[in-house]
Amino acid sequence: MTRLLLSLVFAACFTLATVLDSRIHDLQAQNDDSTGVMAALLGDSRRLFANQLFVEADVYFHSGYYPTMFDKKETDIDVKGEPEGDQKGKEAQKADVEESFLGPPQDWIERFGRHFFPTVHTHLDDERSREVLPWLRMAADMDPHQIETYVTASYWLRRTLNQPDEAEQFLREGLRANPDSFEILLELGYVDDFNRHDPKDARQLFALALRKWEKQDAAGLKPAPKARGEILDGLVRADREQNDFKQMLLDLEALKAVAPHPEAIEQDIQETRGKLAAPGGAPPGK
Amino acid sequence: MNNIFALAGVVIKELYRRKDFYVLFVMTAVVSLLLGSVRFFNDDKIVRFIKAACLLLIWISTLVIAITTAARQIPAERESRTIFPLLAKPVSRWELIAGKFFGCWLACGITLVVFYLFFGLLTSSYEHHWPVATFFQGIWMHWVFLAIVIALVLLGSVVFTAQSSNATISFIVVVGILFAGRHLHYVGLGMNGFGGEIVTAVYYAIPHLEWYDMRDLVIHDWAQIDWIYIAGATLYGALYTGLLLGLTWMVFRRKTLTL
Repeated sequence: MTRLLLSLVFAACFTLATVLDSRIHDLQAQNDDSTGVMAALLGDSRRLFANQLFVEADVYFHSGYYPTMFDKKETDIDVKGEPEGDQKGKEAQKADVEESFLGPPQDWIERFGRHFFPTVHTHLDDERSREVLPWLRMAADMDPHQIETYVTASYWLRRTLNQPDEAEQFLREGLRANPDSFEILLELGYVDDFNRHDPKDARQLFALALRKWEKQDAAGLKPAPKARGEILDGLVRADREQNDFKQMLLDLEALKAVAPHPEAIEQDIQETRGKLAAPGGAPPGK
Repeated sequence: MNNIFALAGVVIKELYRRKDFYVLFVMTAVVSLLLGSVRFFNDDKIVRFIKAACLLLIWISTLVIAITTAARQIPAERESRTIFPLLAKPVSRWELIAGKFFGCWLACGITLVVFYLFFGLLTSSYEHHWPVATFFQGIWMHWVFLAIVIALVLLGSVVFTAQSSNATISFIVVVGILFAGRHLHYVGLGMNGFGGEIVTAVYYAIPHLEWYDMRDLVIHDWAQIDWIYIAGATLYGALYTGLLLGLTWMVFRRKTLTL
């Protein structure tokens, strides 16, 4: 009797699995974020961990020197930092520690305990900056909508590690999850402009980023005004590299409206007008 | 002294007869090697992430081994009634406690050597160098930390009736001190009145186990610590271990050993 019952229960489990498995896969396919092992294990709760993983990347950038939830706020000393291996003398270090988020030690236990964890502010050098990447990769897996993660990882990959292919791949992944992100498009433009020296493709990406920024602005989402300036700056640079002075003039006029120092842009505008007015200044068709 | 070493020898034999160590070591090795095989952005030079994961697993594994081994020593002797012939022989209660402590501590020392050897091989395969002094300081401080933990758990095993409650409470206390021990006086300063003073008193009274956690220094390749501070922390650890073992003996010598 027991064997029969167990066999029936097993048959019921088997049947249920065949029915439910396909439905669960269908449900997962509807949700763009439900890819990867982390998503399967943690579900939506993984987003809670994403910010912590992003912070962990910063902890690694500072080689373990980082305020905890119990410490004071960061001071100027905590923000500046020295490159790793280029450390100051002991007395200067001690003075810096007392001015940092750690503050002067309150008692002998704290004074003694500070010998056993990092108390000097350093930054990873270019070669070792790769150590922050695993945390950024995992932060993106946890929360694909945290745009800062893609942009930060791309910055290290393209600027210090000279890995533009990996940067582009990661940014494209971010763009799939965040199709309206002007930040990711701007960063993709930087990859084409600075690393691939392809101003034509870079300009298209900057132009698309500008449209996304304006769309968000029109929708009242208040995108960062600084980002508009950075996008326009990218457009001007791409125009200059392509010798497209007519378009460059238009972009410079737009940049002047948002630039913190419009007088410098005005000078650039006058120079560009001079080039356009000069005989044979603008290439034919431009 | 011979009695103490004989008892310690039995505890060490128990460690390699039981499966705990093998399971935890294999788990640590497999997880570390799996993480080591993961390539982030096609970069095979990333190492600190693997070091951090491996060291965390080593800390968890050795803490579990230390607590579970120490927690079962005296209750197991009582349950199997072997404590009666043991104490009927010329073995004093103090010798029993000292023997159990040294056995657990030496057993943990052996596991530490195995774990850190694996850690050293893993990291040197990536970094191609082995900062011996920092590694030695890390292992030594870890071992001193485990001495305090074992003494604390032995005290728990003569205070609490159940082995499981002792292990759970010890684990919570140790992890709590590691997480918040360094900051308790700031918490106390932020609290008003008597509560703040109690928290500050707790801050001074607890063993500062967080000193012995040198993982950040090892992971991020910081220079070795001055040996004078290592000696100071060792002395502090030895005093605290002695205090906890003394308290264990005081409780244990008055305990009526009935079933």
